[in-house]
Amino acid sequence: MRKLGLVLAATLLVTCGALGLSACGGSSGKEGGTLTASYASFPDYLDPALSYTAEGWNAMFDTYTPLLTYAHASGAAGSKVIPGLAEGMPKVTDGGKTYTLTLRKGLKYSDGTPVRASDFPFSVERMLKLNSGGSSFYTGIVGAEEFAEGKSGGISGIKADDKTGKITIDLESPSGTFTNELAMPFVALLPKGTPVKNLSTEPPPATGPYEIVKSQPGRGWSYERNPQWAKANAALLPEIPSGHVDKIDVKIVHNGSTQVNEVERGKVNWMQTPPPPDLYQKVKSKYEGTQFRVEPTVSTYYFWMNMKRAPFDDLKVRQAVNYAISTAALERIYAGALKASHQILPEGMPGHKSFNLYPHDMAKAKKLIAEANPSDRNITVWVDNEPPHNQAAEYYQGVLGELGFNAKLKEVNAENYFALIGNQSTPDLDTGWFDWSEDFPHPDDFFGPLLSGESIVPIGNANFSQTDVPRLNKKIAKLGEEELGPEQEAGYADLDREFMELAPWAPYGSQTTSTFVSSEIDLGKVIYNPTFGDDLTSFQFK
Amino acid sequence: MVPDSIAATGPAASGPWRLALRRLRRNRVALAFLGLFVLILAFVLAAPLWANEVAGTGPNKTHTLEKIEVNGEQRDVVDPTGQPIGPVWLGAGGKFFLGADGRLGRDEMVRLMYGGRTSLFVGLVSALITTVLATLLGLLAGYYRGWTDTLISRTLDVVWAFPVLLLAIALGLVLAVGGLQIGPLHLSGGSIWIPILIIGFVSTPYMARPLRGEVLSLREKEFVEAAVAQGAGSLRVMFGELLPNLTSTIIVFFTLNIAANMLIESALSFLGVGVQQPNASWGTMIAVGLELITSSPLLTILPGTMILLTVLSLNVLGDGLRDALDPRSKVRFEAHSGLSAPEGSETIDGLAP
Amino acid sequence: MARFLVRRLVGMVAVLFAVSVLTFLIFNVIPNSDPAQRMAGKNATPQLVASITREWGFDKSLPEQYVTMMRKVFTGDLISYQGREDVDERIVEGIPATFSLCFGAAAIWMFFGILFGYLSAVRAGGWLDRTLTVLAVTGISMPVFWLAAIFLNYLTYKTSIFPSGGYVEFGEDPIEWASHLILPWVTLAILYIGFYSRVLRSSMLDVMNEDYVRTARAKGLSERRVMSRHVMRNSLIPIVTLFGLDVGVLLGGAILIEAIFSLNGIGQYAYEALKDADLPPIMAITLFGAFFIVLFNTLVDLAYAWLDPRVRLGASPQ
Repeated sequence: MRKLGLVLAATLLVTCGALGLSACGGSSGKEGGTLTASYASFPDYLDPALSYTAEGWNAMFDTYTPLLTYAHASGAAGSKVIPGLAEGMPKVTDGGKTYTLTLRKGLKYSDGTPVRASDFPFSVERMLKLNSGGSSFYTGIVGAEEFAEGKSGGISGIKADDKTGKITIDLESPSGTFTNELAMPFVALLPKGTPVKNLSTEPPPATGPYEIVKSQPGRGWSYERNPQWAKANAALLPEIPSGHVDKIDVKIVHNGSTQVNEVERGKVNWMQTPPPPDLYQKVKSKYEGTQFRVEPTVSTYYFWMNMKRAPFDDLKVRQAVNYAISTAALERIYAGALKASHQILPEGMPGHKSFNLYPHDMAKAKKLIAEANPSDRNITVWVDNEPPHNQAAEYYQGVLGELGFNAKLKEVNAENYFALIGNQSTPDLDTGWFDWSEDFPHPDDFFGPLLSGESIVPIGNANFSQTDVPRLNKKIAKLGEEELGPEQEAGYADLDREFMELAPWAPYGSQTTSTFVSSEIDLGKVIYNPTFGDDLTSFQFK
Repeated sequence: MVPDSIAATGPAASGPWRLALRRLRRNRVALAFLGLFVLILAFVLAAPLWANEVAGTGPNKTHTLEKIEVNGEQRDVVDPTGQPIGPVWLGAGGKFFLGADGRLGRDEMVRLMYGGRTSLFVGLVSALITTVLATLLGLLAGYYRGWTDTLISRTLDVVWAFPVLLLAIALGLVLAVGGLQIGPLHLSGGSIWIPILIIGFVSTPYMARPLRGEVLSLREKEFVEAAVAQGAGSLRVMFGELLPNLTSTIIVFFTLNIAANMLIESALSFLGVGVQQPNASWGTMIAVGLELITSSPLLTILPGTMILLTVLSLNVLGDGLRDALDPRSKVRFEAHSGLSAPEGSETIDGLAP
Repeated sequence: MARFLVRRLVGMVAVLFAVSVLTFLIFNVIPNSDPAQRMAGKNATPQLVASITREWGFDKSLPEQYVTMMRKVFTGDLISYQGREDVDERIVEGIPATFSLCFGAAAIWMFFGILFGYLSAVRAGGWLDRTLTVLAVTGISMPVFWLAAIFLNYLTYKTSIFPSGGYVEFGEDPIEWASHLILPWVTLAILYIGFYSRVLRSSMLDVMNEDYVRTARAKGLSERRVMSRHVMRNSLIPIVTLFGLDVGVLLGGAILIEAIFSLNGIGQYAYEALKDADLPPIMAITLFGAFFIVLFNTLVDLAYAWLDPRVRLGASPQ
């Protein structure tokens, strides 16, 4: 019996030793393994030409690559546009109207098909044929608008030569944002002949380190390593990491508390959705630094005020609202997940320079209202029904009440919300909540659609405040045409201030998001790209 | 006129209603729950009193940044991490008696009382609508039979065939934004009448069918023949002869329907398509409470328990009334959130062409 | 009998048709936001909205749109507005979860409902009867989604006794399949146990007072024979009726329970579609659910016609 004990002890020692070795073998952690992830809802699409949500872009960042892409890095470094499938950054000529790129040679799709230059115009045409929500970014290309109407005949402004790999794009007028738009998933390259329909259930071949191998809307999807990545693309695209895990299984779990529960238990390695406000503080205090990390978003959350409707046609009223809103209260409503700010551009956006024209002062606000003495005191406040935004609006309703207004709240289904408030024929569009996240790190993405009078349209309008100041419209247009440099950034910072003096909005900040992983994942390695979220290639088991 | 079954039992000296009351009084359980219901009613009716005198705030007023003095100590209504204050009981003179309802810092006790008013109001009025509609439809279909019956029964079948919640949610959703226009009357999307009308409408088939069944069997009885022989017109027969005999059934159904409708309202409000936020109803309070269930479970437990107690009281009372009014009644209509079909009478009329 | 069947079938089709028309009207006639606008999204241009309108046929007349949609429902080509998914495929995928929930809960509630009802009836008036009745009425008096949330909180989040939601295929792992479904089953069953036990109780009490039962007893039949042959067989008739109807309703999906427990069945799909006011899936799911309701209604009536010749011959009820 003693001998058995000795043998057992020896076995135990050897096993522990082996485990110990494997644990510390390779200081950079374990390679391989299967990552289990959970999303709260299936992305709008798993088709790069169609998806227009953070979840969708997050899911496809490491699968589909456009001619240009973003650096796989956190923070400001992640806002840099770098060459993707193209050899280098585009050569811009003809006063900003012509872009020339060359496709790298030797790239392959995950099914083995070689990537060709003509795949680019094909992908753009496919996107327009599908009536994608991203179409408006590309109708500035010569011939694109006609193609979008007729859906045939090709786009005259794009020329691609398969032999040399050269791609030329002609624009109707110069645009400072086109480089960013070339890096959006909408124009990721897909092989010619890819069916022109929503391919979320049978995702098209990939060019990135991972490919989507199975997809079931409503339930989940799975990735595996793209075999062509190691064979062909990795060497040609050194700035895109190859990824550590071999497989990723994503499942849809609607209930936020359930998601947190599963990450805590280790059943799920990463939840894409931030913890619900109820559990946010608990998770933060328990796991910050080890499994949890707060990530900033480049977005602005604000209450817009319709300047064409009383009482918001009076500057004093709008300024009063700005003084009356307290970001301290709103921070509590967001359970602490709010980064306060009082301006149009969010932090992390080039051109952002912090300032606050309206520090919280209820007394001052009431005085301004007394001076303005508006006759129309009935206000309808609009918001969608997702917490905590609807609670922020309930707070806003209370503030308006304190200022002496009769404010009624109208909560609308989240899916319907934008369509409803963007439709000019909807009655009583006085004021309401909105949030705008960057499509790309260029200030024109905010000023153009939200604050330029030129963007006011009868349906699908995003300029809810109906701001239309010809001088400012011209400034927005001019800055939008030029390439973004220090001069333009300063110009945008000035524009930010000028608009806040006009007070078409009462911005209050941006909701922070977070990365929450199970204990087996190395949090320090996880990269959070400001536009694309947590980078799948950065997840690694300890 | 006296329903045969009641006339057949008990001493001939007392009238049927007196008899029913006596039977009810002997049912101690039913009386106890009647008492509970009355207590709940008093509780919710006292809402403005409590709000004005004790709590000093309204059900929708937010207090996110405020502090209150509890037993001499200053405390945040909502702390900086968003955690609302728990039940303070009488520590602040009755303010925030049950704590704050979430990150908006509203007084939970005040909301519970006002929420109850809303829920009970919706339940009661929608039950009135259902009862009136179901009685009318049941009478018309059961008395005239033929084409009238076919038309009414088929319409009820269509509404019945809809998965109940789906229909109610669909209507609620669509009407929530634009409101409803009935002729010159416009109901805005946030009006409480929208869920009332929807629930009243959706509940109707479940009461109309058994009532129709009972009318079908009642019309064969001698007293109806006698009335017709005496020259009574259709309306006279329906409202003068048949309706009085339905009264006891209707009373029971009405009571049980209030309970059923309150459950539907809670589900709809929970989903955001019934009573609209930020207005308090016990259903919307559960929705708000669920967000904070792990940190403040009381916010979910309180409104749910109130619904449970109210519906329970009504169900027991309804049963007691049924036993008192007609102890051998075969016609049943149960109130519960699944809204299953009634037994007995279903088989009688279910095969009508 | 055959004529009766044909009449019922025609009735079924008529009802389903009316249901589809009503659903279509609710979402099209009552002002709601334009689905083309919703699909066009955040950066919509009028041209994009117009293009989508043409692609999906929203510019066609309502009757035309209705016919097209109905055709697509049956050919399996129906695509949702939100996410452009194949609706029929999603419904088929949701069937295992929904049916598992329905039949599992049904087994539980039938067993306990009949047991409790029987005990209540044979010991009518006693303390067991009173206790069971109180429990039963309590069971039918609570909002089912509230109970579900309370269970989730105390039995999963706080104590990890049960898994916190999701559906595991039976084929994949029968034990996980069951453990993920226990809470939903129990939550759903509590409601119906209360109801069924009371129905059985009152049904049994009614039957036990009937003349033929007294006759049987007078004839000297043992209590057990009386119970099993006469009482139970007849008391169970309304139970069977109700069971058919309730299962019919549940097969269309228990919206709230599936959503709270993330069961990914048809009920959950309905919940999502309703949230998005997405007509194609709502239409398909409503028809799916209505079909089962009407089917089971008919089956139950058929069973009655078979059991009770009076009814079959259409005799006027007395």
